[in-house]
Amino acid sequence: MLIAILCVPIGVAIISAFLPSRLVAPVSVLGSLVTLGLTVALIAGFDPGVPGLQNVVDEAWIPGLGVRFQLGIDGISLFLVAMTALLWAASFAWSAWRMPDRPKNYFLMLGIGEFAVMGAFLAQDLLLFVLFFDLMLVPFFFLVGSYGTGDRIKATIKMMVYTLVGSLLMLVAAIATAILTSETTGELSFALSDLRANVLPEGSQDWIFWFFAAAFLVKMPSFPLHGWMPDAYRSCPLPVLALLSGVLPKVAAYGFLRVVLPIFPDATIQFQELVLVLGLVSILYGSAMAFAQTNVRLIAGYSSIAQLGFITLGVFSLSSDGANGAVLQMVNHGLVVAPVFLIIAVLAERYGTEDLREMGGAATRAPVLAVLFLIVTMATLAMPGSANFIGEFYILNGLFDEKTAYAVIAMAGVAMAAFYALRLYQKTMHNRLPAGVESREMSLRDASVLVPLVLVIIGTALYPTLILKRGEASVQDKVGAVTAAEEPEGGLAAKP
Amino acid sequence: MAVEWYLVLSALLFATGAAGVLLRRSPLVVLLCLELMLNAGNLALLAFARSTGTEDGHVFALVVIVVAACEVVVGLGLIVAMFRRRLPLNVDELRGLKG
Amino acid sequence: MSATAFGWLILLFPLAGSILIGLGHRRWPAKTAGWIGTAAIGLAFAAAIGAFLSLLGEPAEERQLTSSAWDYATSVGLDIQLGILVDPLSVVMCLVVTGVSTLIHLYSTAYMVSDKGYARFFSYLNFFVFSMLLLVLAGNFVLLIVGWAFVGFASYALISFWYRRGTATAAGMKAFVINVVGDIGLVLAAFLIFREVGAFEYLTVFEESREHFETNEGSIVAICLLLLVGAFAKSAQIPFHTWLPDAMEGPTPVSALIHAATMVTAGVYLIARAHPLFELAPTAADIAAFVGLATLIVAATIALVVTDLKRIIAYSTMSQIGYMIVGVSIGAYTAGIFHLMTHAFFKALLFMAAGSVIGAMAGNQNIDRMSGFRRAMPFTSLALIVGGLALAGFPLMSGFFSKDEILVFAAERGGMYWIFAIGGYAAAFLTAFYAFRIGFRVVLGEPCEEAKEVERGGLAHGEHENPATGEKEDTEVGFPGSEHHIAERAPGMKIAMGVLAMLSIVAGFIQLPGVTAGMEHFLEGSFEESELFHIVPSEGSAYTGLLIGGLMAFAGIGVAYLVYVARPGLTGRLRSRMEGVHGFLQRKWYFDEAIDFLVYRPAIKLGQFSNNVIERVVVDGIVSVTAGAVREAGLLVRGAQSGFVRAYALLVLGGFAALALYFLVVSS
Repeated sequence: MLIAILCVPIGVAIISAFLPSRLVAPVSVLGSLVTLGLTVALIAGFDPGVPGLQNVVDEAWIPGLGVRFQLGIDGISLFLVAMTALLWAASFAWSAWRMPDRPKNYFLMLGIGEFAVMGAFLAQDLLLFVLFFDLMLVPFFFLVGSYGTGDRIKATIKMMVYTLVGSLLMLVAAIATAILTSETTGELSFALSDLRANVLPEGSQDWIFWFFAAAFLVKMPSFPLHGWMPDAYRSCPLPVLALLSGVLPKVAAYGFLRVVLPIFPDATIQFQELVLVLGLVSILYGSAMAFAQTNVRLIAGYSSIAQLGFITLGVFSLSSDGANGAVLQMVNHGLVVAPVFLIIAVLAERYGTEDLREMGGAATRAPVLAVLFLIVTMATLAMPGSANFIGEFYILNGLFDEKTAYAVIAMAGVAMAAFYALRLYQKTMHNRLPAGVESREMSLRDASVLVPLVLVIIGTALYPTLILKRGEASVQDKVGAVTAAEEPEGGLAAKP
Repeated sequence: MAVEWYLVLSALLFATGAAGVLLRRSPLVVLLCLELMLNAGNLALLAFARSTGTEDGHVFALVVIVVAACEVVVGLGLIVAMFRRRLPLNVDELRGLKG
Repeated sequence: MSATAFGWLILLFPLAGSILIGLGHRRWPAKTAGWIGTAAIGLAFAAAIGAFLSLLGEPAEERQLTSSAWDYATSVGLDIQLGILVDPLSVVMCLVVTGVSTLIHLYSTAYMVSDKGYARFFSYLNFFVFSMLLLVLAGNFVLLIVGWAFVGFASYALISFWYRRGTATAAGMKAFVINVVGDIGLVLAAFLIFREVGAFEYLTVFEESREHFETNEGSIVAICLLLLVGAFAKSAQIPFHTWLPDAMEGPTPVSALIHAATMVTAGVYLIARAHPLFELAPTAADIAAFVGLATLIVAATIALVVTDLKRIIAYSTMSQIGYMIVGVSIGAYTAGIFHLMTHAFFKALLFMAAGSVIGAMAGNQNIDRMSGFRRAMPFTSLALIVGGLALAGFPLMSGFFSKDEILVFAAERGGMYWIFAIGGYAAAFLTAFYAFRIGFRVVLGEPCEEAKEVERGGLAHGEHENPATGEKEDTEVGFPGSEHHIAERAPGMKIAMGVLAMLSIVAGFIQLPGVTAGMEHFLEGSFEESELFHIVPSEGSAYTGLLIGGLMAFAGIGVAYLVYVARPGLTGRLRSRMEGVHGFLQRKWYFDEAIDFLVYRPAIKLGQFSNNVIERVVVDGIVSVTAGAVREAGLLVRGAQSGFVRAYALLVLGGFAALALYFLVVSS
């Protein structure tokens, strides 16, 4: 099942490279829907009570280096995989409705991207994870570089350099981890379960932790390593941006939870405060920046920085409900940010500009678009009633016990989010239409992509327990690994 | 004859060739001196081969001769091309590969 | 059917109505939306009555019933159910909300008829009622927060209903952001409650907190103060009140429903619901009462000078809510909720009448331009007078009994609480004054131009302008509708206003001190364990209080008569003599300016600072410095590539020689 989820995207991508141009789009969309179906089947077949991995695939791959081809799924990655499939299907469909030039290359790259991300979520071997993590970047290099707008070359190079520096550090750290662990066990292995069982001495954990953190923090992006974000977000084609913002940062956050927390518990505890500060600053900085932007893409971009800040807070709260909330929020944010960018695409086509000051009044004669955007906006600002609220609630509740001040300050981010999200909605949808712009309802094609996404948002809002319950056992396991390593000083037990 | 004599001769020839490469400006002369250096090396190889009684030196000297021949072909070809394009045949003035 | 089943029905009908209207409005004729909406709320009202009767059937101690639909967010130790609590307090609130809403929906079917956004209006209005009912029926703090936020959202949608108007969208944004601040207070309170008690369900929390907390312990005071942040933001109490006057940008039925009868009373409901917590933290309760007192006085003073008719009524609402907050904070739960109910009646009536008058004035809301409508619109004038009498607390009207009960209770508690009684009576005088400022101004005097137009049988038509800024409206989209409506010619409006007028007169008799006390008996089911609930003022003090209240009403009406009818130039002379005070009141005590200065500007400055300084200098700077360093290093190394063949040759030979020497030296 997992192999199928992994291979369908890449298989379809390669096949479509050999098809005539007009068949490429439908075949790709079909392939993505098949992947989506497989992930839904995976959810249906998942057993919530088990904390370990399910559907495990374990083959020897590079025996000389101790690298195994090991895949597995658990509560944390289950919905992330589903979300990836959903968003990629949406992106494929959206791109299919608006055919790019050189479609074969475009859809091939998208397919490789899906393959890489799925691999990163499913990998249970450290080197395999690093491989997929780095592979993720390649298709986006081409997509932004060839199909982007504006100053795309500069943006692509900036993005590449930032990400590659981080990835290089991560590679070094990964190799070091395996080698140092092999000194105690006597056998070289990159499998996560093996690395977890033999914890490294604290000194090595420290620098390895920061090397991994560097790679992940760049990808999220988190303050202060977010410099690539404005340029990349300005140049990237919008359906691809939905993925760049909706899925890729989650791989980084997931990486923290899957790799860093269990394998480097002492370093995690030691640097918890520092990472929490980074997360908090990301929230406040991202929100403050989103206030002042006039480019609609950047409002969404800085908003994403803030949201990922919340997720960071959740993961590093070192409490089960905080981490569970972070997992929920990872799924939620992806579900919400993709429609935002797709709606921005609709608006940009209508107004011919992405500057907020030149937009307005789009809701006239477009009630469906207005309602969909309103629902998405309310979810973005985590209005109580949305699943995003429950995610933030869990995160901040997890943080509240031990790190009360952080939770209180983070709430300021919630207030600011209300302002900038609503400002985005109002300035585009309400007030007067600028001269010479026609207002009309969005097309059925666009609706066919947006409506299902919004329905999923509403569905999760009604029943967030679905995601929370599945993640419960695995999250407790991961957080437990950290808190078990703590000195018994006042008894910090994992929250029940 | 002691092998040292041959080695001293080889060293003298090598030094002469090296000096020529470093000091002469005409590419043709530089090529000549390069040949001189190669043949000095050959001489040393043969002297050692003779003194130890193995064939390895001989074989390797043959390889060097072949390589030298190829290199001369390329070098002379370059010089002819330079002449045909009326480039100054002066090593100091040919600086197109400046970084 | 059990009370909880009725509870779910109460929630279901408005939600179904909203969705139905939303999905189907294209296919059905325009008016259907109005009928569906009204019918949905009417059914909800019927269900509320069902719940009421069903609760009456239970013995008094067992009237707190809960029911849960599904696990909303249950995981790792947090257990948040989608659960409701049906008890006397929530049922009373439901009755008031659904009852008044049905009448307002009826009013709107006529009032909003020419507006192209008719269906959207009813969909939003139904959703609002659903949200308010969710807030009131919620059985745990998290669902309360969800209902709270939905109400805020619906309020935003309805305030900026005419979204082509810049003033309306700005007002909506303001209301929403202040609301979110309140939400944050509630969320933090929920976190604290969970940390201390470990649950979110009301009944569990209230029971546990009695054992867990000592009186006035730090954490319980903090919880209550945070709850107050939410309550004050929603109920427009100082300092979170600045959104309410601006909210008058919405259509008049919205003002009547949301900003008079229902949403703004949510704060009062919250304090009453969380009374076990407040009784454990008297400090917080006292703070609440003082804030309520401050608001009721400040708002009353502002209502004396503002000239926009709807805004006068809005400040009046703020002031009356202040009374209710004082009431439920000092323990006068019955009186507070009673006043909530009567206020809903007469305030909605006043807004409806105001809507009718504004319709006659072709959209103009300036009270200085209105006069003499008694012949032109007799029904509306009568409604204004009845509403004004009830608001002023004229003897035997509903407002008379409800307001004074609060003040009598305050006096009964004695000591420091006398200040509430005194302040309350003083403001009652002011209330009566401004209530009849409206009444006398609009009804008596020489008919203005518009009134004469109505008498002649027509209706004044103005240029379509934004009443606040005078900006030309964008009428091509069809909203606001081009026609205006007055009650005399629209039966729907008349019926609604008539019912409310009757209720404003007779509702007082439900809760006569010592005589009927109907509400007190019913509410006992929710408040039985409260000590404060059982403080009943003696009949003597009750009647004294009523007497003083009546006197204040007479005095206020009398002075208003003096100022506006008997000596017309008086206001002008007073204004010129008290320029400073007048200006201060006119600027609404400078609260807007203060918030702009303290909150809004710094936030924008922070955004700009981040953009210009941190982003450009620091973040990009790091990157540029690094890139620059790499480039410089490259340039340095470049020097070695001279293109000079002899130099390369020298390097090769020299290097080789050095290596050879090295090995020779090392091996020897």
